[in-house]
Amino acid sequence: MPEQIVTQVISPDLKFVKEIIAAGGGDLKKCYQCSTCTVVCGMTPDESPFPRKEMLYAQWGMKDKLISNPDVWLCHQCSDCTAYCPRGAKPGEVLGAVRNMAIKNYSKPAGFASMVNEPKAAILLFAIPIALFLIFMMIQGHFTSGIPRGDGGIISFSKFMPPIPYVDFLFMPLAALVVLSFIFGIKDYWSDMSKHYGKPVGGDINKSITDTIIEILSHKRFEKCNVTKDRKISHLLVFYSFIGLAITTSIAVFYLYFLKWESPYPQTNIIKIIGNISGIALLIGITMMVSSRIKNQEKAGIGSYFDWLFIVIVYGVAATGMFAQIFRLLDIAVVAYPMYFAHLVFIFALFAYAPFSKMAHMIYRTTAMVFARHTGRDKLTT
Amino acid sequence: MEKKFGVYICNGCSIGESINIEKLIKSSARAAKIQPDAVRVHDILCSPAGIEMIKNDISQGMNTLILGACSPRVKFEEFDFPGALTERVNLREFVVWTQDPNTDAAQSTAEDYMKMGIIKAQKGELPEPNILPDLSKTIVVVGGGISGLTAALDAAEAGYEVVLIEKEPQLGGWAAKLYKEVPREFPYEKLIEPIVINKIKEVEAHPNIRVYKSSTIEKTDGQPGLFDVTIRTNGTSETIKAGVFIMTAGWQPYDASKLVHLGYGMPDVITNVQMEEIAKSGKITRPSDGKEAKKVAFIQCAGSRDPEHLPYCSSFCCATSLKQAKYVRELNSEAVAMIFYKDIRTPGQTEIFYKNMQNDPGVLLTKADVTKISDIGNGNMFVEAENTLLGEKIKVEADLVVLAVGIVPATRASQEYLDGLTEVTTKGDDAKNAYLESTPKPEFILNLGYRQGPEIPSLEGAYGFADSNFICFQYETRRTGIYAAGCVRQPMTMSEAASDAAGAALKAIQCVEHVSKGIAVHPRAWDATFPDPMMIRCTSCKRCTEECPFGAIDEDEKGTPFYRINRCRRCGTCMGACPERIVSFKDFSVDLVGSMIRGIEVSEDEFRIVVLACENDSYPALDSAAIKRIKINSSVRIIPVRCLGATNLVWVSDAFSKGIDGLILLGCKYGENYQCHFVKGSELANYRFSKVKETLDKLQLESDRCQLMQVAINEYDKLPQMINDFVERIEEIGPNPFKDL
Repeated sequence: MPEQIVTQVISPDLKFVKEIIAAGGGDLKKCYQCSTCTVVCGMTPDESPFPRKEMLYAQWGMKDKLISNPDVWLCHQCSDCTAYCPRGAKPGEVLGAVRNMAIKNYSKPAGFASMVNEPKAAILLFAIPIALFLIFMMIQGHFTSGIPRGDGGIISFSKFMPPIPYVDFLFMPLAALVVLSFIFGIKDYWSDMSKHYGKPVGGDINKSITDTIIEILSHKRFEKCNVTKDRKISHLLVFYSFIGLAITTSIAVFYLYFLKWESPYPQTNIIKIIGNISGIALLIGITMMVSSRIKNQEKAGIGSYFDWLFIVIVYGVAATGMFAQIFRLLDIAVVAYPMYFAHLVFIFALFAYAPFSKMAHMIYRTTAMVFARHTGRDKLTT
Repeated sequence: MEKKFGVYICNGCSIGESINIEKLIKSSARAAKIQPDAVRVHDILCSPAGIEMIKNDISQGMNTLILGACSPRVKFEEFDFPGALTERVNLREFVVWTQDPNTDAAQSTAEDYMKMGIIKAQKGELPEPNILPDLSKTIVVVGGGISGLTAALDAAEAGYEVVLIEKEPQLGGWAAKLYKEVPREFPYEKLIEPIVINKIKEVEAHPNIRVYKSSTIEKTDGQPGLFDVTIRTNGTSETIKAGVFIMTAGWQPYDASKLVHLGYGMPDVITNVQMEEIAKSGKITRPSDGKEAKKVAFIQCAGSRDPEHLPYCSSFCCATSLKQAKYVRELNSEAVAMIFYKDIRTPGQTEIFYKNMQNDPGVLLTKADVTKISDIGNGNMFVEAENTLLGEKIKVEADLVVLAVGIVPATRASQEYLDGLTEVTTKGDDAKNAYLESTPKPEFILNLGYRQGPEIPSLEGAYGFADSNFICFQYETRRTGIYAAGCVRQPMTMSEAASDAAGAALKAIQCVEHVSKGIAVHPRAWDATFPDPMMIRCTSCKRCTEECPFGAIDEDEKGTPFYRINRCRRCGTCMGACPERIVSFKDFSVDLVGSMIRGIEVSEDEFRIVVLACENDSYPALDSAAIKRIKINSSVRIIPVRCLGATNLVWVSDAFSKGIDGLILLGCKYGENYQCHFVKGSELANYRFSKVKETLDKLQLESDRCQLMQVAINEYDKLPQMINDFVERIEEIGPNPFKDL
């Protein structure tokens, strides 16, 4: 990188420092800039390495420099830095908090983000879908005339909460809004990154995108972690099970809207096989994540509320989905319906809050990785 | 006193197995002129039985003991026989541990050492202390800051009369001008109220302390135990008797008007001292408009660690700025304190305070070289910096800038003036007079009546900080009985200054107590001997007065030298200097050492090398080499001297006329930043011997035969090799031609 000395005007933002601390970077002030973190980090590019400078930006409340910083996303929080930090400043946790702040900053509509960051708002997060689905139940008269059963008197969730006009009519527009929100977020983020960190080396943007996606699919970056080596497997499991569940959902859409075939489907059907494998993989993956966090908490830190909320939601989705299916098959209605109800609540939380919750990391991280690749910033991958 | 000689030889520590004791007994008896069967041999002389044997002999009238055993630097408690002249001969270290056992060479070395010890005992006498009359034990403390108050209190608590002199109208110094202090104990979170306030009260109420405020010292005459101190208070003078001084004159903040590059002169650029005054008002306000400051920048090392200003670290400024950052944060939680540092230096437990402050989100720190403070135009300033941890040049807006300025010792102005005077003096009278006319004379603090100048000296390159023998005895200065402590000696924090003051108080007490017993103060703290000149032979050449490192010798109106013995440290530099050789100590004289040299057996077919070794560093270094069993050439004979400054030129002719082939003078390093207790002995010896070399050359005696070597005590491992190399060189030159005569 050519030496380019620019005088930079710094306006320390005390509020921002406090926000990062509140968002999980509680030890950031302990950093005394020895740069051990940068030396031990396996993810950092050779030029303008992280997280030493990010720690200073955070200490000095340099919001502009941090929020639009693509490097914080190159970090996969393997926590090697946190484990080796001589002052216990936990750089990994700080970068996690910074990413949280970035999500908060770019997510649209602005303002909703604090809902997923504020433990006090947790009840509200779940109260919204609970109320929504209770209303749906009321409209259908479930409380007065009972829950209708499917053909042959079996428990049928499509009778309990029909996709049309309830589930799909709720989730499809929600998904569209989420996508829209992400598009605007990415747009702002890309333009900020270009402004503060953009030094494009040219080349084909499409190639950068494809290469990035290939890299993500392979999970190669996780191999550079030391302290939390097992995260590659757990994240890979969660990642691919989400893909599996997305495929399951697509097939369901195809069955419902093209074949006009309502659930439940036989256990041997391809949709059930993919769905169940993905569900089990998700459960295993998320359990591994939780156990690894607990195991490594001394070295890597236990993680923020923001992280744990997302873990709870994913756990909830996987567990309630699996239990709803089991109790449906066992024909234990008193457990099966509440489980499915809970499943819908967690699915809602997963999707509706995606632009604000940790779910958004898949979008921003991908964007940052593409940017880093495209601007030649991320030498590690080239 | 008629001497009754007792010669003792220890068989222990392999001495008996390495030397033929029978032969040693015979030769020693011959030298001591006693019967061989009167020589006592014991298997372990330092054992209770051995000691008992000696004490028994003493009770039978034995009064002059020669103990052939181990080094005099060990077992000195065991071999302590008050009332008996005791000479220790170092057979173990210098023979058994450094020579091949049971060889002729080892045998003759042992016999020579025994003989020299016997000669020393024959020539020496039991010392009688020289106690001057009308001694005072009053301790004068100069300066009433944290160091002075602590020293005064500690000395007074120990039961000594203390006179505390402060030039300001009130006590407390800088410590009393603080809003709060850096915490001193775990968890280092809360700032503490200035502790000096209580100390002032205690000092003012103490029955043993007399306080002179608004006072300066007009004149200090005399010597330890007998100082006459003239104190001037509001136009009136009073002279008091005092025994010793503790110099705690403290410091001044560096003159910020020299820091224009850091914006000093702009209305809202202040010093850390001014910051304390502002904080005392309970609100951090700007001098320009009285508005509350919310973005306070601290510039560390403002003028410090900067070759243009103060090249040193002032030690307290980092903790002080962290403390002042806490003022900013505690007085307004919305305000930020930004600290731009070269390095944060908070030694010891204060590191915990640094960590605590660092954890405050509103305390922002970065390493930086501040290049400029510029006016933004909106009433605020930009702190411009480079080489920051951010990797780029930065500008940070601030509404108040605090320069963390460092310590200038109170002694600096007078030291600079005196240095300047010394320099022009070499250029002649005109230059000197011009200097005296053009240079304003600073106010001296002690106004000493010493020929070496009115103030405590400073080490070379020590920026005017008061003298300190910083390696061994940090409070010790080149003026006996004047001890420096606190920031006048070295930059330090308040708690360090307080412990420094306690140390200096102890040294002061040691001084008055030793003086009252007529023994040397330090470093020869056991020594009851003193230089005793035979004045009828004095030619008033003044060489002793010029060369005495401690100003202990002065001339009376007729130009005759006289001693102020309590200033003397018993190094013997006067003895070495005197061309008439009239200065002697009871156990150390020109004749005594000369006789030892002449007592060495010289044969035609063997080389003999004499080493005159300084007792402070060289002799312990030789002992250490012996402990490591490093061999030394068997032709070497070591004779301890108090200081190379005590070596008299006549010893050279003693040695070479006797047939000694080579002479080594083993002394301290000299040059900048002396750390030799006797300051310049080896340097003086070198000067004297440079003249000798010319004479040697004239006598057709190779001047290479005489060499001065400088060694530090920690170079013991190299020392034997240095000596052995010298012996080789002498062997190349060949034997002393005077051997046959």
